[in-house]
Amino acid sequence: MTLWKKNDIETAMECPMTRRRFMKWLAAAGVAAAMPCGFLVPNETKAGIVYEGGYETFRNACPRNCYDTCSMVTYVKDGVAQFVEGAPESTFTNGGLCVKGNAYIRKQYSPDRIKYPMAQQGRGSGNWKRISWDEALTRISEKFIEINEKDESMLGLALTKYSGNFGITNYGVEGMFSSLGYTTRMVGTPCWPAGIDAQNYDMGNMWCNDPEDMVDARYIILWGVNPAWCSVHTMKYIYEARQRGAKVVCIDPVLTQTAAKADEYWQINTSEDGALALGMARHILDRGLVDQDWVAANSVGFGEFADYLKQEVTLEWAAEKSGVPARRIARVAEEFATADPATIWIGYGMQRHVNGGASVRAIDALVAMTGNVGKAGGGARYGHLMTWGFNYHAMIQQPPKGAKGFLGPTAKGEFDFTKDAEGPAYTNRTLNINKTARELLNATDPPVRALWVSCKNPLSQDFDRNQLEKAFKKMELVVVVDQFFNQTVEQADIVLPVTTLFEEWTVNVGYWHYWLSINEQAVKPLHEAKSNIEIAAALSKKMNELKPGSCTFPTDIDTKEWVAKEFNKGVYDLFGINSWEDLKNGPKKAKANRLAWADGKFGTPSGKYEFRSDLCAEHGFNALPKYVEGRKPYDKLRLLTPHTQFGLHSQFINLDWMEDFNPRPYVYIHPETARVRNIADGDRVLVKNKTGEVTITASLTDNVPVDAILMYEAWFKNNPYNCQNLVDDTSADMGGYKAGAPGVAIHDQFADLVKA
Amino acid sequence: MDPAEKTTLTLLRDFFLARSGQDLAPACMVLAGDSPAAARIGRTDWDEAEFAFNRLFVGPMALQAPPYASAYLETEPRLMGESTLKIRRIYEMAGLSSPLQGRLPDDHIGVELDAALGLSNMAQTLDAEEPRVLWRYFLHEHLSAWLPQFIDRARRAEAGHPAVDLALDHLETWLNRQQSKEEGKIQ
Repeated sequence: MTLWKKNDIETAMECPMTRRRFMKWLAAAGVAAAMPCGFLVPNETKAGIVYEGGYETFRNACPRNCYDTCSMVTYVKDGVAQFVEGAPESTFTNGGLCVKGNAYIRKQYSPDRIKYPMAQQGRGSGNWKRISWDEALTRISEKFIEINEKDESMLGLALTKYSGNFGITNYGVEGMFSSLGYTTRMVGTPCWPAGIDAQNYDMGNMWCNDPEDMVDARYIILWGVNPAWCSVHTMKYIYEARQRGAKVVCIDPVLTQTAAKADEYWQINTSEDGALALGMARHILDRGLVDQDWVAANSVGFGEFADYLKQEVTLEWAAEKSGVPARRIARVAEEFATADPATIWIGYGMQRHVNGGASVRAIDALVAMTGNVGKAGGGARYGHLMTWGFNYHAMIQQPPKGAKGFLGPTAKGEFDFTKDAEGPAYTNRTLNINKTARELLNATDPPVRALWVSCKNPLSQDFDRNQLEKAFKKMELVVVVDQFFNQTVEQADIVLPVTTLFEEWTVNVGYWHYWLSINEQAVKPLHEAKSNIEIAAALSKKMNELKPGSCTFPTDIDTKEWVAKEFNKGVYDLFGINSWEDLKNGPKKAKANRLAWADGKFGTPSGKYEFRSDLCAEHGFNALPKYVEGRKPYDKLRLLTPHTQFGLHSQFINLDWMEDFNPRPYVYIHPETARVRNIADGDRVLVKNKTGEVTITASLTDNVPVDAILMYEAWFKNNPYNCQNLVDDTSADMGGYKAGAPGVAIHDQFADLVKA
Repeated sequence: MDPAEKTTLTLLRDFFLARSGQDLAPACMVLAGDSPAAARIGRTDWDEAEFAFNRLFVGPMALQAPPYASAYLETEPRLMGESTLKIRRIYEMAGLSSPLQGRLPDDHIGVELDAALGLSNMAQTLDAEEPRVLWRYFLHEHLSAWLPQFIDRARRAEAGHPAVDLALDHLETWLNRQQSKEEGKIQ
């Protein structure tokens, strides 16, 4: 008789062959009768799961709102995702992931994930009860039906959703809302709208070159962008360009990691980007370095722009405004104008100002007047949506018959690719997402009664936190769909667990690079998580059960099939594939559209680059890219709240790997600013302004300007920190044209601080 | 394991797999029995007990005492770690599997207490060495490695509740008794 020892058991746990040998005992009679288990069941699978070091691999794509939208490979063993890598087939991702991407396994298997549908007894009380999906959907459906009966429409039901998951099938959340009737939608974007409109006025679209062609640039200006943190995969092209002789200049109010790596860094006075660009333009004009041939052939209004520069802009004025010495502006302007090609990467932070759109137009003009638009290695790079030509099958759903809605002006977001209905008809009611708090509070006839939050953490991300708390209190029902408990879930009545990228089928493209990636379901959803479209289908089933005909969303869906339904011939042709299943062999890059405006055919009314945009004037702005003053300071110091290295908005920061490096928030203060306030490094300080206050630890650094303080936009687990306590909802200048609502002046905030 | 210990184990399993306060109540009432704690348990507001139970073990907030072995046994606490898969293989070696495999981690405390019932019963009733070895391994090398940490963490957590304390006390007593029995660790 064999005498099994501890080592044998441990070997058997590792080795299928030893395990099979051990399991021979199971053939003995009476085993099943000896099992008094109430939960575990006799194992139906045969002995020995035969991986023995082998992994199944699945294609995934990082769906976060990030320049890099990485193509990933996930290694799965025993039904568990073990590790991830960047897909080697994508020359952009190039086999590597960022610090956040590499932490995905920690996200997937964090003990802190939301596991079950749960209901809170008293918002913010922390008193949660676990409920079944059926119970959750019943409660939600009953409320929706009640709203419909009370208001005779579904306008009392509002959706706030943005970029927490950019997988295309997640637009099924909007589809779910459409299928319920005409509802209230938070429309617009806090991200990039002023710049989108600026580029539309100038060129007729937001369209940037393939970032991979930056290797061909001979001069690169990184203007208010920090790719060393926020687009690590683009850095290799910048380095390669420099190896080939390009000069890299970084312009930023903060000495970022990118600034530290540049050949030259200018710490510009915040929001004076337009003045700086116009000063450079004036110098280029004075030196006769304008690309006259390109301007003559491809643009309108340059003469008027030149007159404006001569009459109202000087190098000295630009130097005074921007804080950059005139001689340096002159030298870099000359270098930029004579390098061929030269490019500027315009960051999103620099347009989050009351003059942000105007500043982007000034920078666009600088690139255009030097003949760098339409060139490989050139361009005014901002972003693009040229690869987003999906069917939006999940998104496009019809309202129930007889549904009533809103009659009046509405707006569309930049990711809303649906066509407008013909003729007068009911529509959704649209509210400005950047003024969510006041819009929810002020909406009447009917008021917003119920709020559905998905792919978004408004209480960490939206502005004027104090007002937003009041708005949430006004809601009769708040449903939040999320993966982790955050400050928004804290104010929910019902929370629903949603799948991670490893647990759902979808498809992803980027708004910076030109790659297309399939996202396969690699593992079963943990706990009771469902994907957004599964939630939509389940809600529809319950709605129809309680009130037949009340929701048109299909009730029985195959999520893999729904991915297939997003594709069309246009997508196949653009990426040179015959079937979406080809993407299982690796991501594909667009075969066309990667060189913006190369044919000189612009999307503007004139068909040319418009230094003078009458459309822009019609919309209430300057026709020319003139200087526009920034917001008048209302407190002693400017408050900057940019993105952190260890998170993407409010995601990732709560993970243990991130906490190791970034365990708590700080306010970063210039030593001189701290000295006059008697604040030492590590002191607790009270940061206060007209909007609210934050108590936080001080970190002294001369990376930030003396007239500004900085705290990163973030959500920390078990920490009340929230920079939005200090950020009001003042609009940026542009954004209403293409993004549905103006942007928000996130970096035009002011505050002061004292030792707490 | 004697019948009383099996009953305790069954009640603890039901406690940790509870979905609501109404599930917690019967398990706690029987666990309390005629003990001095019985009167207090009898007056329990089971909603309050459920809120505390969820703060500790369920969510949606970050868990104060994750009820998964891998949260204690892995170098970097997580779910579905290598230690979880080893437990899945122990079940497999006993001819068992979880009906929620891949969704509920195999090393959730409720599942493990259920496995303890099955393994100990097989060890007691079957004329084979393997189930006895498996049970001793599971008890001494696995349960004993993480349950004390779990109990300690749950006791020290902010969200305590007498009903939870009762279950933790019984769990500790049950574990200590099993550990002290004549048939000790395997070599």
